[in-house]
Amino acid sequence: MLVIQKTKIKEILDTLAKEYKVIVPAKDGDTSKFIPYGDNTEMLLEENVQLPPKDVFFPQTEKMYKFKSKKNTMEIENLPIEGGKQLIFGIRSCDMKSLDCLDQVFLTKGTDEFYKEKRDKTALIALSCTKPKETCFCTSMGLDPQKAVGADVQAYDLGDKIGFEAITEQGKKIIASIEGQLSEESVVVPKFGEFKINVDVEGVPEKLKGMFESPMWDDISRKCLNCGACTYVCPTCHCFDISQEVRGEDGVKYRCWDSCMFGEYTQMAGGHNPRPTKKERVRNRFMHKLNYFVERYNMLLCTGCGRCINVCPVNMDITAIIKQVKEAE
Amino acid sequence: MEKLTQEIRKTAKEILEKGQANVVIGWEKGSAWYISTPVFIDKAEDVERLVWDEYCVNNLAKYLLDYKTVEGKVAIFVKGCDARGVNRLIQDKQVDREKVLIVGLSCPGMKDEKKAKELGKNAEIPLVKKCQECRYPEPIIFDIFLGEKGKKEPAKGKDFSDIKAIEKMSSDEKYDFFSENYDRCLRCYACRNVCPACSCRECIFDQSKSGWLGKANNASNNMFFGITRALHVAGRCIECGECERVCPVNIPIMLLNKKIIQDIDTLFGDYDAGLDPEGKLPLGGFEYSDPEEFM
Amino acid sequence: MSINEVPQNWEPKILVFACNWCTYAGADLTGLGRLQYPPNIRILKVPCSGRVNPQFVVKAFQRGIDGVLVAGCHPGDCHYSTGNYFTRRRFLIMNRMMEYIGIEPQRMQNKWISAAEAPKFQQVITEVTEEIRALGPNRKLRDDQWKN
Repeated sequence: MLVIQKTKIKEILDTLAKEYKVIVPAKDGDTSKFIPYGDNTEMLLEENVQLPPKDVFFPQTEKMYKFKSKKNTMEIENLPIEGGKQLIFGIRSCDMKSLDCLDQVFLTKGTDEFYKEKRDKTALIALSCTKPKETCFCTSMGLDPQKAVGADVQAYDLGDKIGFEAITEQGKKIIASIEGQLSEESVVVPKFGEFKINVDVEGVPEKLKGMFESPMWDDISRKCLNCGACTYVCPTCHCFDISQEVRGEDGVKYRCWDSCMFGEYTQMAGGHNPRPTKKERVRNRFMHKLNYFVERYNMLLCTGCGRCINVCPVNMDITAIIKQVKEAE
Repeated sequence: MEKLTQEIRKTAKEILEKGQANVVIGWEKGSAWYISTPVFIDKAEDVERLVWDEYCVNNLAKYLLDYKTVEGKVAIFVKGCDARGVNRLIQDKQVDREKVLIVGLSCPGMKDEKKAKELGKNAEIPLVKKCQECRYPEPIIFDIFLGEKGKKEPAKGKDFSDIKAIEKMSSDEKYDFFSENYDRCLRCYACRNVCPACSCRECIFDQSKSGWLGKANNASNNMFFGITRALHVAGRCIECGECERVCPVNIPIMLLNKKIIQDIDTLFGDYDAGLDPEGKLPLGGFEYSDPEEFM
Repeated sequence: MSINEVPQNWEPKILVFACNWCTYAGADLTGLGRLQYPPNIRILKVPCSGRVNPQFVVKAFQRGIDGVLVAGCHPGDCHYSTGNYFTRRRFLIMNRMMEYIGIEPQRMQNKWISAAEAPKFQQVITEVTEEIRALGPNRKLRDDQWKN
């Protein structure tokens, strides 16, 4: 396998930065997320970052078009979709799977141009995991933490070195461009550590179908605060709202993340709210993750990254809920 | 604490069996050893779920709002900070004192779950920041008290050293500091939803159509949120620090709240929110003798 | 444009919240008396200085105002007896808060100006304008992502 010392990883990124805008997992103040690579970036390669990479493809706030309203007319002007060639280095299996989920939504039944533009122009170097965090459970969701789906290059964490393996044609080109800096070595990929959370999701989507009216939801939702933390740190949550800012004659339409945990999310113009309490909202979140999405796209909308468990102020644990569903009569 | 857990269960059982309340709000063990989480018990046979340990960090007062329009009495277990939260809600006429049965517990200070997650079970886990600074570990309002008092030495005075440090910065440094922090804000509103002082039925931030604050996420909008919320809970913040604890991107929210607390103390005299359910709020009134700076 | 650069012909934009009974009438009197003051202010009439919610101020800065003045009746003179006492408490806190997050104190001011104090109105507006002119344009808190 072609490898490089971890201490020299910046040299490779510098080479790649000549062709791509390189995005890496790094510290950002008191949190961590995927940010553009620069000289002062504090990269985090030991564990996954606290915020998912979805905003690289689907920013929290994204302008869609401008408009100008005059007396009786309105002019609409398209905005150039931002983004040239970019490359994410160090994305984990769970987040790679989340892109697969987002692709289903934004690319299969109709195409979302804003998403597609960025997705098409982004090359992906996935990095294997060796040590699961306290809240990780990707294996329970059927993922391999050392083999990501859809990556151009799979990188392996080999302790003090990183190994590279090209997967796609584009991946081969990427490897070719940095080959001079890598050395060929025979290596053994270390096994990943033990997962603290293991849950069996077999049969859960089917079972949930008949559980819409289950009293279980009353019980689960009682402690929920109805904040949007879980949905905003989720790599697969993709709901958005379209809104506008107007200054005089000029206006901008934009879209921004929304959360099914908020009351305003389902508020209708006439005042009716079909999801009036937290019970309905909590139920929707888990039904969407574990049932609706499976029915629509034949895959779970949870990748086991554990971020929602990590941030929830009241310990709403999706794995505990899966267990509860399994045990329910 | 094991003994107290047994007592808590016994008390909860009695309350439910005697019909003194329809539901008991307490803590149960969460999905890891370092997490205890709110639980609602309405059947006497479920009281075994209740626990009391050094991770019962959640302030339960906010949940009383869920029972505002529900018939019957609610029993709630309170630490020092929860009790102040309950008091605040009573003071704002959000909760009817007659409707709550308050069971007080002396708080030994709660441990930091984030640190526990990092350090592991065998390490010495430090107290949460809010507990290190806590001056009221004993519940100041209760109907029943369990266990012994004096589990934790209360902090002597209010510690404003972090506020003073920021005040010493230049205007630009201050702004850079806060805007960088609020740039990270996801506007998930966890801070608002956990706050026992945030009791508006309809929050301005849930009404994007009103035009006050759009949904777009940027440092300017996020700071509008932060400043407005801080001023809205001015004089009502009980320093439980829940806002800061729940923030998924670790924004030091209490720096705003503590600044206001400091200024209220120096301008209008020392005040601690949530001590007196009948008292006047510092920003709900005035004195003719207030400092005059606008002449 | 760099953040500290002052555009050519830049003039400070100042928002004045003036109470209906004192300061607004005072501004009127200033005009009637032909007392000149800088044309940099926009006056927004409010029923009482107590009507001014702190979020009005933050919103003004978001939308590109360089300075805010909240003005009302002197304590004791409030048309509603005590409205301005509430204003005083609120803005003693608010002004310190704005300074704390990095807004220069000159940009967020309060003054009591009665209906008879035309010279004071003239003087305050002149002073505030000059103070803000010296500071330059405000970019803090500004929400300018909608410009392009």
